[in-house]
Amino acid sequence: MHHRPPLSAIIEMGCPYLVATAVALALLGANPVHAAANKHLAKRAVHRQEAPVIRNTDGVAEARLINIYKLIGKAQNREALAKATQLVKDLPNFQLAQLVYGDLLAARGRPVDAIGDVPDTMAQAAGSNLSELREESKRRVNALREPPPPGTIPSQFIALSQRSRHAIAVDASKSRLYLFKNTPTGLNLVSDYYISVGKAGTSKTLEGDQRTPLGVYYITSNLDRKSLKDFYGSGALPINYPNMLDAKRGKTGSGIWLHGTPPSQFSRPPLATDGCVVLANPDLSHLVKTVEVRTTPVVIATQLHWVAPHSVRTEGKPFEDALHAWRNAKTAGDLKQILSFYTPDFNSNGKTLAQWTPTLKAELATVQGRTIQLKDISFLRWTDTSDTMVVTFGEVAEGIRTGLTKRQYWMRQDSQWKIFFEGVL
Amino acid sequence: MKHACTPMFHPLRLLTLAAAMMFSVAHADDYTDVSQLMRAGKLPEALSKADQYLASKPKDPQMRFLKGVIQRDAGKTTDAIATFTHLTEDYPELPEPYNNLAVLYAGQSQFDKARAALEMAIRTNPSYSTAHENLGDVYAKLASQAYNKALQLDASNPAVAPKLALIRELFTPTGPKGQKSGIPAVSSPPSTPVAAKPPPVLPSPALAKAPVTAPPETAVAAVTPPPVAPATTSASGNDTKEAEAAVRSWASAWAAKDVKAYLAAYGREFAPPGSMKRSAWENERRERIISKSRISIKLENLNVTVNGNKATAKFRQNYKATGLAVSSIKTLDLAKSGDRWLIVRESTGS
Repeated sequence: MHHRPPLSAIIEMGCPYLVATAVALALLGANPVHAAANKHLAKRAVHRQEAPVIRNTDGVAEARLINIYKLIGKAQNREALAKATQLVKDLPNFQLAQLVYGDLLAARGRPVDAIGDVPDTMAQAAGSNLSELREESKRRVNALREPPPPGTIPSQFIALSQRSRHAIAVDASKSRLYLFKNTPTGLNLVSDYYISVGKAGTSKTLEGDQRTPLGVYYITSNLDRKSLKDFYGSGALPINYPNMLDAKRGKTGSGIWLHGTPPSQFSRPPLATDGCVVLANPDLSHLVKTVEVRTTPVVIATQLHWVAPHSVRTEGKPFEDALHAWRNAKTAGDLKQILSFYTPDFNSNGKTLAQWTPTLKAELATVQGRTIQLKDISFLRWTDTSDTMVVTFGEVAEGIRTGLTKRQYWMRQDSQWKIFFEGVL
Repeated sequence: MKHACTPMFHPLRLLTLAAAMMFSVAHADDYTDVSQLMRAGKLPEALSKADQYLASKPKDPQMRFLKGVIQRDAGKTTDAIATFTHLTEDYPELPEPYNNLAVLYAGQSQFDKARAALEMAIRTNPSYSTAHENLGDVYAKLASQAYNKALQLDASNPAVAPKLALIRELFTPTGPKGQKSGIPAVSSPPSTPVAAKPPPVLPSPALAKAPVTAPPETAVAAVTPPPVAPATTSASGNDTKEAEAAVRSWASAWAAKDVKAYLAAYGREFAPPGSMKRSAWENERRERIISKSRISIKLENLNVTVNGNKATAKFRQNYKATGLAVSSIKTLDLAKSGDRWLIVRESTGS
């Protein structure tokens, strides 16, 4: 008797169904990232007395989907179908899960050659929906197949003071957001989530260009979900686009948020938004509960480069020297020397260098020759056509109890680092 | 096929009462008593009652079947395998003993044997193939629903519900060696729709499915094979070619969903399966064929032998349609009527 190959056999024969996914995933063990995330949340829940004990659901839907892929990879289609049945029952709006469920059902009666092996008529009617779901699947799987090397951090995070308890990095090419906890011994990756970015991709330049900005940002507020439309899902965390580098470059637009998904969609395609970064609601909720407004940096890059923490410190050394030279000049009180650190097109909230110089003079008068100390220094590097640093620190004169929290934007001009923005937070 | 598929056999379900429903009501009390004892967990009592009954009616397939189930429940796997094996020998046309053998073999990780037994179960009883086709349709329907949700298509235009084939007749076993078994025929009239849903056992999809059109005549065919005449010289080469052409045009009419030409390939003597009326059978075939968006029929190893104005065509039929692909060995008996070769019998299985 002739046997129709079941789905499992198709995978073994190297047919395209989930080749990039299930087979490789079968080799993956449990996901340590999420295990760590769960532990972390449990600890926080105890620490924050006011927080109700909520079962952590971030990342769970994806873990269940990946488990189904693994079962398919192990030729356990029956079990995979049972798990898929339960997943779509729990999350009927998880379209990718519906697609895999459909494939598993279809595979009972015919060969299934590709993920979303839908009838031609349906594929035509679906427009781009099918290719988007396939892309979502691919990106989810690839992000898990190629996790960041253990102990590495995105190259932008050169120095992050303990004022920032968490940090976020987005890799647009992988459709992935990484959440870090900033500990005294360095940044620890605690969880990572599938995300969607702008319909037209990244590199936002103009208002309405449906692109997600690239750069170093900070979360500016936490919008109450009750005040939001259903479209934004479980909450919204706006970021400070356009930042000072964006403004210097004349970029326009506003209202770039990290937010959740509408009731009709558990997740959205990789390229789907008007420029925001969109997470599934359980994932966004976890971010909202975890991160702090104003001190949490959000780096958004086309592709993150993961490097060892000590190597970024070495790379950041020339900049650190420039920053300390600026501090020393300020301690010495030599106005001309201090001004040499600023670019001609310097801007401080609308003031030119000439207009801002009185502010600088006033600061020097207060210091009166005392040594200036920089505390809690963070500097994040952003390199595209220019090499820039977003620097945050507390500036305190010796013997004075309090100082100012400042943010500066520096740009490297040849081998010289220069300040093109300075402001008080 | 490699061992890769074997884990799928694990969740096999044992048939218990399906057979009980299929047989006579004459001995209902004895069967009921044994079944009740069994369900109450009184296995030794159930077994002794079954043995007592079998002492007077040693051939009775129903009680032997129950005995096998009791033995299985009691953990006497070897005894249960023996009981079911003997049943398959005496009643090769019954699918249930094969199915239960498969369950027992799978429990011993003898997956090759389990697979063979399940293939026999499917092959022996055409109503099983109907159930498979129904199941295929249901799976296809469910898949379509899931795809619609996945692709966020408008579901306000509901797809046509799958037409499921009704099993119209209970299977009446024939005894060993072609004799009618001692069981009186089922008392219900044959037209009563008895089973509107598939039988309770769903074999693994990894198994080849029985053919779509298998009429329930296979068992009979196995018992009374048509006398094979020695090759005669009367069959001209032309007749062979014509009969072969008739088979091929039957297949292409089917694939082209040309129902009229397809039905015209069957002679007046053709007996529809399960004592169906010809018109009912034709309607069923029509619905089955036109409901498929596309059908592919490929014939392999077509071998036609002609004996006078009768011909037998044997071939492997590879059938593919939306949501279903089946490969099977098929035999068509043809008779020459005027200058046309028409199908008078259609059976499946080697």
